[in-house]
Amino acid sequence: MNLIHLIRNRDWRWAVLPLTLLTVWYVVTTLGWVNTKLIVPPEKVYQAAVKAISRDGFMEGVEASLMRDMSGFVIGSFAGIVFGVLLGLSRWTERIVGPTFNTLKHISLFAWLPLISTWLGTGDSAKIVFISLTTFYPVAINTFDGVRSVPRTQLEVARVYAFTRWQSITRLIVPAASPQILTGLHLGLIYAWMATIGAEFLLVTADTGLGDAVIKGRAAFNVELIVFGMLIIGLVGALLNFIATRIESHLLAWRGDRT
Amino acid sequence: MNDATRPVVHGLVNSGILQRLFLTLGGFSIRVSHAAVGLILPLGVLGLWQFAVIHEWIAVQLLPPPELVWQSLQDLWESGDLTHHLSVSLSRIGWSVLIGSSIGWLLGFSVALSKTARAYLYPSFEVFSQFPVVGWIPLLIIFLGIDEGLKIAAISIAVVVPVTVATYKGISNIPRNLLEVAQVYRFTRSQVLLRVVLPAALPSLFSGFRQGIMQAWLALVFVELLASSEGVGYLMGYARLLMQLDLVFVGVIVIGVIGVTLDLSLSFLESRLQSWLHTVHGEAK
Amino acid sequence: MAHAATLEIKNLNKQYKVRGESLPVLENISLSIKPGEFVSIVGSSGCGKSTLLKLIIGLEDDYQGELLLDGSRIVGTSLERGIVFQEHRLFPWLTVEQNISIGLLNNTKFSEEEKRKSVQEHIELVGLKDFAGAYPYQLSGGMSQRVAIARALVNRPEVLLLDEPFGALDAFTRAFLQQELQRIWEKEGITMIQVTHDVEEAVYLGDRVVVMQPRPGRIKRIIDVPLPRERNRSSAEFIAIKEEVLREFSHTADASAGLIEKAASNEEYSHSNELSYQA
Repeated sequence: MNLIHLIRNRDWRWAVLPLTLLTVWYVVTTLGWVNTKLIVPPEKVYQAAVKAISRDGFMEGVEASLMRDMSGFVIGSFAGIVFGVLLGLSRWTERIVGPTFNTLKHISLFAWLPLISTWLGTGDSAKIVFISLTTFYPVAINTFDGVRSVPRTQLEVARVYAFTRWQSITRLIVPAASPQILTGLHLGLIYAWMATIGAEFLLVTADTGLGDAVIKGRAAFNVELIVFGMLIIGLVGALLNFIATRIESHLLAWRGDRT
Repeated sequence: MNDATRPVVHGLVNSGILQRLFLTLGGFSIRVSHAAVGLILPLGVLGLWQFAVIHEWIAVQLLPPPELVWQSLQDLWESGDLTHHLSVSLSRIGWSVLIGSSIGWLLGFSVALSKTARAYLYPSFEVFSQFPVVGWIPLLIIFLGIDEGLKIAAISIAVVVPVTVATYKGISNIPRNLLEVAQVYRFTRSQVLLRVVLPAALPSLFSGFRQGIMQAWLALVFVELLASSEGVGYLMGYARLLMQLDLVFVGVIVIGVIGVTLDLSLSFLESRLQSWLHTVHGEAK
Repeated sequence: MAHAATLEIKNLNKQYKVRGESLPVLENISLSIKPGEFVSIVGSSGCGKSTLLKLIIGLEDDYQGELLLDGSRIVGTSLERGIVFQEHRLFPWLTVEQNISIGLLNNTKFSEEEKRKSVQEHIELVGLKDFAGAYPYQLSGGMSQRVAIARALVNRPEVLLLDEPFGALDAFTRAFLQQELQRIWEKEGITMIQVTHDVEEAVYLGDRVVVMQPRPGRIKRIIDVPLPRERNRSSAEFIAIKEEVLREFSHTADASAGLIEKAASNEEYSHSNELSYQA
């Protein structure tokens, strides 16, 4: 197959909207139809991007944010899986802890931030605790659902082959619940990134971080930096999402072509 | 379930109404006892909290006594401040949900029903939906300032994404064989829409709406913490700055109560909707 | 090596408790099964034949009477008793080979080497050598059920129970798997007990056919099948025995209904319906 053929057969209609927006943006700023202090021209964003990447410690900020994101995600998802499995397996744990958990999960996540920051300050530990909490809920909820929906018929198979309790958990319940656990982890990943940026916006410190850079850009009315920062935030979010989707479909290959 | 009550009832009277009454009572008492078990943990935590305060384990600035939190809640309620902030927050939610879900439904319906619209719009929407809502806010502040417009815009964005996705998925997942039935009976386009697509997609439309409201609630607290001079989130941020932790706790409680109320009423509506759909279509599942 | 077991059922009774009331499911079942025998159990929905299998495999306890395998009372599940369910119940996240190995997870009698050998032998026994690495979603219904048979046999159990194993398959696959099952039974020489809705299947495979009747589940009659194998389904003798079994059905009041709604063969389900109806 030659390249031209390939390009022709692709559906390029998706490009119309973004290209139109870009053109409009470019035209109105070049012709000076708008206040270019507010709506900065694309080339200024580009310059800001080049400057940010080469100097300024911008990339270190991205790295620091990702580190926070990942630490919180790992802690929160581990806790979420353990909690979800426990709650799913034991009726008594569910009766005692379930109602409290189901009430607390309705508290809008950012409402915890003032409390956490009072207790732990505005540094990394507060942020990571907050990110873990954000990850914890979707992972725990989905793990619980997954464990609960293991079919009785499969549990009978485990009994026929005399599985121990531990074997039932590792060889039946966790694999059977893995689609839901992975859904929870995927959601947790998306939430963790939102929480990372949100916490960096709200808990302003001297630390480096992507969110810190953007929020400082706002204070200095550096619009091009804000726009660039936003693009990076979106890009990282999309990248994380992409990786999660790939891992998920790889791990769930045993389900066949189901979507 | 009703091991204890059933034989007794059976022995006494065989009247259907009385029997059902007793069964309901039996179920009720079991539910009450379950709820009591569920109260062990929160009461334990409350006890520990009180205990910690009495023994001064933690400074009062960091952990206010429970009765102070309760007192502040009452004061705030009586002075009308709480109602004021709440009504501000709730009206923001109301407007944003209205605007956001209208846009979401419009977008969802158009990409689901028209191949052309899907080809032009959906890829861009997918990229857009990957941006955390939180990330938009600094840019929106530049354009809209920190007035009401900012909050409505930010929260609306949070609503648009889940509503659009659920609408699109709900419509495109309608079973083919239902649409084939419509084809066999030569339904017109509007008949297909009104008699097949809409009822079949209604549950997912509603669940998208529900997710949208929950996302709005999340975004609201964030934006009020970040840039606001009114609202529940603002109240908490302000109290935190003044180190009035009792007020922060009040904020958490109020936000929790509203969250639970929203969720309960939405799931009630959802179950009503489901049972209505089932009776209308006579589906026995 | 495995040896075939004797199964002795004496005055077996079983009740379910529904809302404090006890409902008899099995009443006075007595049956003696010789080593290496193939016994078919037929009966309409609600006659308790699946419950009987659940008791023998040990998924349900709490019965009155005696249930003896080689003279000792059956308690709980054991690797000496294998079972094939109506649905294949394979673990979808494991390959064919891994699914068969899962049966050996708690086998302490075999060495690692013996386990590996047993898995390979049983993959070959059911003719799935080329599919050892396939996942369940890639298999047809008949192939999945063959994997389930291999999994049940991999421990070399003394008795194999089959709970309507081919009930969910189409007629062609079903006939083919019946032949396969007969071949496996002859090769392994173990005791097999099969519950089925299908009278032809019962006669084709069984040395004896046990006819059960419902409400409560009792044995109505036991019919010998003294025909040489491999049996010819269209021979006069075969048809005569089939007719005889079917006649037993028409005597029980609501049995014909049960036969007709063969499709609704999920006994468990119809059972619970019936209970709520009575309660």
